[in-house]
Amino acid sequence: MAALWAKISAALPRHEEQLPLRFSDKVESSVVEMLRRSRRQLYSDDDNAAAAAARMLNAQIILDVSWERLNAGTWRHVDKEWRRVYSYGCLFKAAALCRRGPSADEVLLAVRTCDMGLLMGAAIMDNILQVIVGILQGEVRRSTDLQEESGRAEVKRKKTECSRLPVINDESAVPRIKCPSLESFSTNYLLPLKPVVLEGTIAHWPALNQRPWSLEYLRGVAGCRTVPVEVGSRYTDEEWSQTLLTVNEFIERHVLDEIPELKEDICLPDYCCLGEGDEDDITVNAWFGPRGTVSPLHQDPQQNFLAQVVGSKYIRLYSPEDTDKLYPHPSPLLHNTSQVEVENPDAERFPEFSRAPYAECVLRPGDVLFIPVRHWHYVRSLELSFSVSFWWS
Amino acid sequence: MVTFPFPVSLCRSVLRMRRTHSHTVHSSVQNFVAFPMRWFGFGFNAFGQIYVHEKPMQGECSDAAAEVKVSSPTELSSEVDRRDCCVKNECQKRASWSRRASLHLNSDSCVSLAGFASHGSCDARPVQESRGCKDVLISESFLSLAFSDRVECWDLRKEEKTPSWSMEIKTHPDSSGPSVKLPLVPGGYVAPKLPLYRLLSPHLQAKMLALSSEHAVLLSASGAVHTWGLGSHGQLGHGGLASEEEPRIVEALWGMPMSHVATGGWHSVCISDGGDLYVWGWNESGQLGLPSRGLRKALRQQSSQQEGAQYQDASTSPAEEQHEEVFISIQAFPALLDVTPPCEIRTVSCGCRHTAAVTTKGDLYTWGWGDYGQLGQQNLLSSDEPQRVEFFREQQMHVTDVVCGAWNTFAAVAEEEVACS
Repeated sequence: MAALWAKISAALPRHEEQLPLRFSDKVESSVVEMLRRSRRQLYSDDDNAAAAAARMLNAQIILDVSWERLNAGTWRHVDKEWRRVYSYGCLFKAAALCRRGPSADEVLLAVRTCDMGLLMGAAIMDNILQVIVGILQGEVRRSTDLQEESGRAEVKRKKTECSRLPVINDESAVPRIKCPSLESFSTNYLLPLKPVVLEGTIAHWPALNQRPWSLEYLRGVAGCRTVPVEVGSRYTDEEWSQTLLTVNEFIERHVLDEIPELKEDICLPDYCCLGEGDEDDITVNAWFGPRGTVSPLHQDPQQNFLAQVVGSKYIRLYSPEDTDKLYPHPSPLLHNTSQVEVENPDAERFPEFSRAPYAECVLRPGDVLFIPVRHWHYVRSLELSFSVSFWWS
Repeated sequence: MVTFPFPVSLCRSVLRMRRTHSHTVHSSVQNFVAFPMRWFGFGFNAFGQIYVHEKPMQGECSDAAAEVKVSSPTELSSEVDRRDCCVKNECQKRASWSRRASLHLNSDSCVSLAGFASHGSCDARPVQESRGCKDVLISESFLSLAFSDRVECWDLRKEEKTPSWSMEIKTHPDSSGPSVKLPLVPGGYVAPKLPLYRLLSPHLQAKMLALSSEHAVLLSASGAVHTWGLGSHGQLGHGGLASEEEPRIVEALWGMPMSHVATGGWHSVCISDGGDLYVWGWNESGQLGLPSRGLRKALRQQSSQQEGAQYQDASTSPAEEQHEEVFISIQAFPALLDVTPPCEIRTVSCGCRHTAAVTTKGDLYTWGWGDYGQLGQQNLLSSDEPQRVEFFREQQMHVTDVVCGAWNTFAAVAEEEVACS
C-alpha cells in the first residue's frame, strides 16, 4: 500500500509552501490556524501512531466547524469559502487515512470522504478531490478484482412484467417525431413551448451501445462511491427523506457529475445549443430507480430533455396555463409541486383537476422527452429505470 | 485591537464603589450567593481555552487527542496574577469557539482572554481596555464590553486602538440592579456579526436576550418569549420552518412566564418560573434531550468504524429500532423536557449542538453532541437524554452556574453554601 501513498503524494504540491490556504475574511483566523496545522502535519515526516491520530483529529476539527457553517442558513446562502474549507478538511482527512498502509476499509472511508467533499464542498486546488478519488477508485477496483465474487450480494433480477401499464389515448398522446432538424425543433416545439418525444436522437450513446448500462455495470464503475439518495416512493410523503449512501449499499440514484466516467457513455443533445445559456450551465442528472418510483406532479424553472436509457416510464404533462387546476402546495418550500396524486386524485379536495387537459406518453429506451420550461410533469417508472435529464436554458 | 500587557499593571485608576447585591447571571434564584467560586471546564481545548499543556510543542498549543478533547471536568487555573485580583471575588465566564473570556468582578473589574490569540500564545491575558467592565460577551469575531457609562465592541480579528462600535449609556443616579445585560443595550442589542447594533422595539420590554449566529430568543419583562431569525430547523418555536424578520411571540408558551432563555446553534431552551425546561429546534445530535435518530445512526457508525467492520449502510435500521420508538429530528413547537429524577432547573446554557443545565440542588446535567467531551461524562459519546455529570457529585461540589462555548462547557462550583433557597 506504500504505492498508494506515493501516488497520492505525487498529486499534491511538493512542498508545504506550495499548498495554498487563501480565504476571505469570512473564514476566521482561528479556523485558518487549524488549516495551517493540518498542512504542517501533512508535510511532516512523523509517521508514528500519535502523529496519525493528530492528523485525523485536526482534519475532523476542520470538517466539524465548516459543516456547522454549511448548515447555518439556506444552502443558497452558504458562503463558497466555507465550502472550500470543508473540501480542505476532506483532503486532509483522506490523506491521513491513506498515509500508513491503509486497510480496505480505510480506503473506502477515504473514498467516501472525497465524495463528501465533492458533494458538499467547492473545488480546491484544481479539483484535487476528484484526482484523489480517481486514484483511490483504482485501488478499490484492483483489490475487488483479486477477491472472490462470492462475497457480494446477489442482485435479484426483477421480473420485467409491469402492472398497471397505461394505455395511451391518441388524443392525449404527446406527439412523436424522429430526428427533427434544429430549425424544425426550434420552430415547432421550443419556441411555442410544446412537449414532444424525440425518437432516434440518442441511438449513438455508448450507454446504449458499447457500454450498455446495467446494474452490474454501474456497480463495477461506481459501486464504492457515495451519492445522495431519496428514500420513499414520493417526495411529498411524510416518510420521504434524503440520505447519503454508496451505490453498492443502496442502488437507487446517482448524480453524474460525481462520477465523470459515466459521462463518457452519454452525450449532450444537440438541441441544447438553441438555448441562451452556456454548455457549462447545463445540469445533467442520472436517475436510477426501481419500478413504481413516482415523481409527483411538479414544474421546474428550466427546459428539460429527459432521455430514457434503460427501462420505461409513464409521463403525464400539464401546461402552466392550467396551474390553477393543479392545486400547488401553498408553502414556499413546495410551491412548485402539486398536491394532487395524479393517478389517484381526490375529487373532493381537488375538483378542478379532472378538467385540466394533459398529454401523456410511455418513454422507452432511445426516447427523449422535451419538457418545456415550467410544464408540469408526473413520472412513474414502469420497471427498473435509468434516465438522464438535461436542464438547460 | 486589544493589547496584552505583561505583566499585569497595578493601576487602580477608578474605584467602582457600586456592587450589585447579587450579580448572578440569572434572576430566578436571588438568595443563593456562594464564594469562593471555582470554575471547571470540559470539551474542546484545541486552543488551550480550558487548560494549556505543560510542555509546549514547537510553539503549538496542543494537538494530542487527550488535550484537545477534555472529557473530564478540569479546574481552570486563576488567569490573572494573584497580586492584582482576589480569587475570592466573583468571576464570570463566556466562551466562543476558540476562546474563553473571564470577567473578574471586584473593585477593579477586568476581562482576561484565554485560547486563540493573534499573537499565537495560549496563556490568558488581561484585556487592557476592559478596566471597569461590568459585563462581557464574546463571539468568534467580536468582544463586547459593557461599562456603566458605555458599551464597546472590539474586533478580535484586527489590532486596533479603538472599538469598532461604541455607545454611551446615560445612567440614572438612583438606579440599582444590573445596568446592562449583554447583548441587550439601550434601545436594542449587539449582534455577533455586522451590523453590530440593532434596534429593538421598546414595547417588547426586553429583559434577557439569547443569540446564536442566525437566530434570537428574547425574554420580556412579562415572561413572554419572542423569537426571530432563521427558522429552518424549528428553532423559532412557531411550529414551522419559516424564518422571521421581526420578533414574533412564541404563542405555545403564552400564559407560562419564563425566567431564562438560551440559544444553541440551531436550538432554543427556556426555563419557566417554576423551574421547568422547554426545548425546541434541531435534535440531530440529541441537543433537545429527545430521542434522536441522527444520534443513534452516528453512534452505530462510530462503533462499527472502530471495530474495523465493513462501512455500515446508514439507512438500514437494526432490529431493535423496529418497534415503535418515536424519533424527533426537528421539534418546531416548544416541548417540556423531563429530567429524571425530577428537579427544578436554575440555569441553562447551550453550545452549538449541546445543552447544559444546573438544578437548584446543585447538579449539572448535560446532553447533545459529545464528540469533544463537552458533556463531561469522561467519554466522547453524545447523548439524547439529560445525564447528570457525576464528577461534581463525587467531589461533593455544588454547581451554581454553567456557561457553554460552541463545543465546550464551563461550570461554576461552590464548596460551601452561604445561603440556601
